[in-house]
Amino acid sequence: MMYRVDAQPDQWIDRAVVVSFTFEGERYQGFRGDTISSALAAAGVPFLARSFKYHRRRHILSFANHDSNAMFQVDGVPNVRGDVTLLSEGMQIFAVNTFGGLARDKARILNSLGRWLPVGFYYKAFHGRRLFPYWEKMFRALTGLGTVPLDAPREATAKRYAFCDVLVVGGGPSGLSAALEAANAGARVTLVDEAFRLGGGGIGCMDGEHRATQALIKRVVGSPKVSICRATTAAAAYADRWIALADAQRLTKMRAKAVVFATGVSEQPAVFRNNDLPGVLLATAAWRLLWRYGVAPGRRVVMIAGNAEAYRVCLDLHSQGVMVTSIVDLRGERAGGDGAAACAALGMTVLAAHAPYQAVAGEDGTVVALEVAPLGPAGRVHAGGHQRLECDAILMSVGWAAASQLLLQAGGTTRFSDALQQFVPQELPDGVFAAGRMNGVYEYADRLADGARAGAIAAAYAGFGTARPEAAVTVQGARRPSHAFPIIDHPAGKNFVDFDEDLQVKDLENAAQEGFDSSELMKRYSTVGMGPSQGKHSNMNALRVLARVRELGVGELGLTTSRPMYHPVPLKLLAGRSFNAERRSPLDAVHAALGAVWMPAGNWRRPEYYAVPGEARAHSIEREVYAVRNAAGLIDVGTLGKIEVYGPQAGEFLDRAYCGKFSDQRPGTTRYGLMLDESGVIVDDGVVARLGEEMYYFTTTTGGSATVFRELLRLNALWGMDCVLVNVTGHRSAVNFAGPLSRELLQPLTSLDLSEAAFPYLAVRSGDIAGIDARLLRVGFVGELGYEIHVAASDAVGLWQALSAAGAVRQLRPFGVEAQRVLRLEKGHFIVSQDTDGLTDPLEANAQWAVAMQKPFFVGQRSLKILAARGPRQSLVGFEMQNASRLPKECHLVIDRGNIAGRITSIVYSPTLGKAIGLAMLAPALAQPGSEIEIRGDGGAMLKARVTSTPFYDPGNQRQRMAAP
Amino acid sequence: MSALEFIVRPPADRFGLKGPNAPEWLAAAGLEIPAVPNTWTSSSLFVARLGASEFFLEDLPGGTALRQLLEAGLPRGVYPVLREDSAFRLSGDGAFDVLAQVCSIDFSSMVADDRPVIMTSMVGVSVIVVAYEAPDETRYRIWCDPTFGRYLQQTLGHIVIECGGNYTGVSE
Repeated sequence: MMYRVDAQPDQWIDRAVVVSFTFEGERYQGFRGDTISSALAAAGVPFLARSFKYHRRRHILSFANHDSNAMFQVDGVPNVRGDVTLLSEGMQIFAVNTFGGLARDKARILNSLGRWLPVGFYYKAFHGRRLFPYWEKMFRALTGLGTVPLDAPREATAKRYAFCDVLVVGGGPSGLSAALEAANAGARVTLVDEAFRLGGGGIGCMDGEHRATQALIKRVVGSPKVSICRATTAAAAYADRWIALADAQRLTKMRAKAVVFATGVSEQPAVFRNNDLPGVLLATAAWRLLWRYGVAPGRRVVMIAGNAEAYRVCLDLHSQGVMVTSIVDLRGERAGGDGAAACAALGMTVLAAHAPYQAVAGEDGTVVALEVAPLGPAGRVHAGGHQRLECDAILMSVGWAAASQLLLQAGGTTRFSDALQQFVPQELPDGVFAAGRMNGVYEYADRLADGARAGAIAAAYAGFGTARPEAAVTVQGARRPSHAFPIIDHPAGKNFVDFDEDLQVKDLENAAQEGFDSSELMKRYSTVGMGPSQGKHSNMNALRVLARVRELGVGELGLTTSRPMYHPVPLKLLAGRSFNAERRSPLDAVHAALGAVWMPAGNWRRPEYYAVPGEARAHSIEREVYAVRNAAGLIDVGTLGKIEVYGPQAGEFLDRAYCGKFSDQRPGTTRYGLMLDESGVIVDDGVVARLGEEMYYFTTTTGGSATVFRELLRLNALWGMDCVLVNVTGHRSAVNFAGPLSRELLQPLTSLDLSEAAFPYLAVRSGDIAGIDARLLRVGFVGELGYEIHVAASDAVGLWQALSAAGAVRQLRPFGVEAQRVLRLEKGHFIVSQDTDGLTDPLEANAQWAVAMQKPFFVGQRSLKILAARGPRQSLVGFEMQNASRLPKECHLVIDRGNIAGRITSIVYSPTLGKAIGLAMLAPALAQPGSEIEIRGDGGAMLKARVTSTPFYDPGNQRQRMAAP
Repeated sequence: MSALEFIVRPPADRFGLKGPNAPEWLAAAGLEIPAVPNTWTSSSLFVARLGASEFFLEDLPGGTALRQLLEAGLPRGVYPVLREDSAFRLSGDGAFDVLAQVCSIDFSSMVADDRPVIMTSMVGVSVIVVAYEAPDETRYRIWCDPTFGRYLQQTLGHIVIECGGNYTGVSE
């Protein structure tokens, strides 16, 4: 059982300040500076958590910011990492993943049901349809860590960008050395470390390293060129040295001219039966607990050794009064060298060439003994010679895995060093450098030198100082820091490789034998490395198990892909302030005053309809439709994209960019423009007006304006044509003034001759409306006589007011997006990306008439020829419901003899026609007018409809062409 | 030391020009035009050069120079760009901190005496930013599409207040 020892210099806790908190309802005390885990450990709490799958008792394992079995629900916040979260007064802490509390967790029965929960259990359980709902319900109840409080307030965090010359990730000896060297060269350096204090593994040991590291920290802190970010995790690395830094308050997007990764290594556990019992932990975890928080791992400690570091920790523990009784060294005689001799001289028993066979639990579930045996061939022990070593703590110091995840994300590659039993950097991207133990450099002086080397090269890359020749990475094969196979088989299993996911050796072997025998496949099938610690303690051992099964070297298997985030990051940090750029029309205040009910349209907010007190929504919309059909209506269409093209080749440019013909268009006229992508799919549409010989003005869809303009700029740069594009979407406003009375109401406001002869259908004119410079387009989107009037944004309100005043006594009514939707559907007009999708071409949308195939070239032409030869796979057609009392919804499916034969793209009840109408994308066999179709509505009800021709309303289009009175 | 401040700049005549003959035409009109793209000049008009042949012009509030310039009309190869931008000014200590929260450009490394013009994205909105020196501080003018004006104003204003600054609609 762990306990608090006497105070030591440079500890991270302030024993003068007591902090009270509760855990699972029980009251405890710690000190200021304690983490949740250190306080609970010091208080002698026997176990902190239940494991993910088997609900086994768990305690501290790594204490290294990835202790996945020490995560808590703290004051309602789930999955708080106890190893790095500071204790605060009054904290209410609960274990996660329990049913009925930590001690009485009902799900602990799963620990005895392991044989029925094999690797890949999810996939096997979900294989059959019949039991799917049962398994789904059970898994949803059992899985997951913590409880998400759905009523938690939204916390906006201030994400920020930052810049530096050299970013050093890792504040251990090599990172400190790199930072200082780069700063001395004149570079602005940012040094980032995930711990609360600098120093990493160089702080808290009995030899001179501690003093040397303290001195180094002092120099770094004193350097005016170094900014230090403590308790900050470099969570992800992207191209061009873009590093995501996460601290408690925010995510910082750091752009560095050069980066030094001095991220060190993660200690790896030995794998043996019951290696997860409370009291079994990594040596570095015990070491950090002792030096930083004054917590001893136990009163009788056994060390499992696979490297020299184990002896050093034993000596450190002994110096603090912690009794280490035995050292079980996986290596041969004399491998322990001077460290073993020093430990033996202090009374510790060194058992060379022995292995841990199994840990033994006492009544309270914590470790009480380690059973060891002489080591046999890889992963096995000899049958005889077993010994039982009484203890209350087992430490594991058998090796490391390079923390190279960020380096790999940044574009680097690694290779496996058999001498080191570790992956080391092989290729580094431009401006990215590695230093320290990740390079395989373990001796303290070498780490300092390697850091200085990397810092100097990084500074030189960033333009400061002169680069030294890059020294070869020091590989210390003579003192191998990692054991090649610290894994011991046991017939009863429970020898855990992955403590996040409760994966045992046999799980990984079975996965490999079932065919998931590459590192990537094994990861996905077994979920090794997919838990909260993201494989930091499990990937290396999993590779070793796989390598044994396949009789390959670890290097031949390779690491799995490292993807951002390297470390869990709270979603609130990723969300930041949740910027959501909303556009508002210059008429926004006018709409609000008229009672607009808003709806989002692209990134705009638009009036869905105008609410009238005492009038239902449907009735208001119906009246807006009625006004347009019988008098006049006014709608803000300023959200349409508005683009101008100038120059001698403006027409030719449009001929290429759109599938219609525009170079032969007469000035003063408009044409429909349909835009395709290279595959012949419809991507946008609008109206193209020719205002002069070398000037066109055209509209795009509301949502497509930015994309279309960007694409047109790209095409113009590609084609190098003599024309200039101008996007005036936000700088111009537009309204559609439509209805049989529109001409009559508009004429008094303008000096333009609006007669049919002077201003026919599809013409465009420039003139003044109520003294405002305007462009008028006679278009018929809603199927009535109408004028789309475009003015400068600053004139929009004046124009609206003038038109409203003119129509005030003649039933003029503003109408919103919903009424427009009804009106356009009555005319059978499709809306791009509502009635079309990412596969719809003009042939399927019955828009062949808008395609000038005879042109020499236009974007999508070649694909369209191929599609035309193949024939349409679907066809956009009109339909009317046979019964309007129950309507399907958009995206409901058309069913033909039990198979999906199409889908509804638009449907409304037309007050003008007195029936429900819509557009549907149907299989060609059903697309003929008169065909009966069945639509599967809500609840599976089959609803009957009939395919009809379009337009539904005014099939001859006489009203929009309306002759002058 | 100067207080962090974010203000809405007053309406002024603004206009853009594009086209292969635009530089020569502006120079012939007697305007001092920036020699290289992404820089600005200020004489009778503020002129920002957005590209080899693209310019953004701004008059003083109530000024007439821009209207006079455009009165005679534009020759072939010089095309008009309607500009009704929303305009703001950010200044004072802490301006870097605000900019660091809303934009990926490193303004701290920018030298205002170089008269830089930055076209970038700020809180999701395309903007033009220029830096210039005032007696005791660097100031930033920011322009954006008017339909994003309210959003940009409110978002930046909120952040400025959070950073301890003043956000008003007061004119320069």
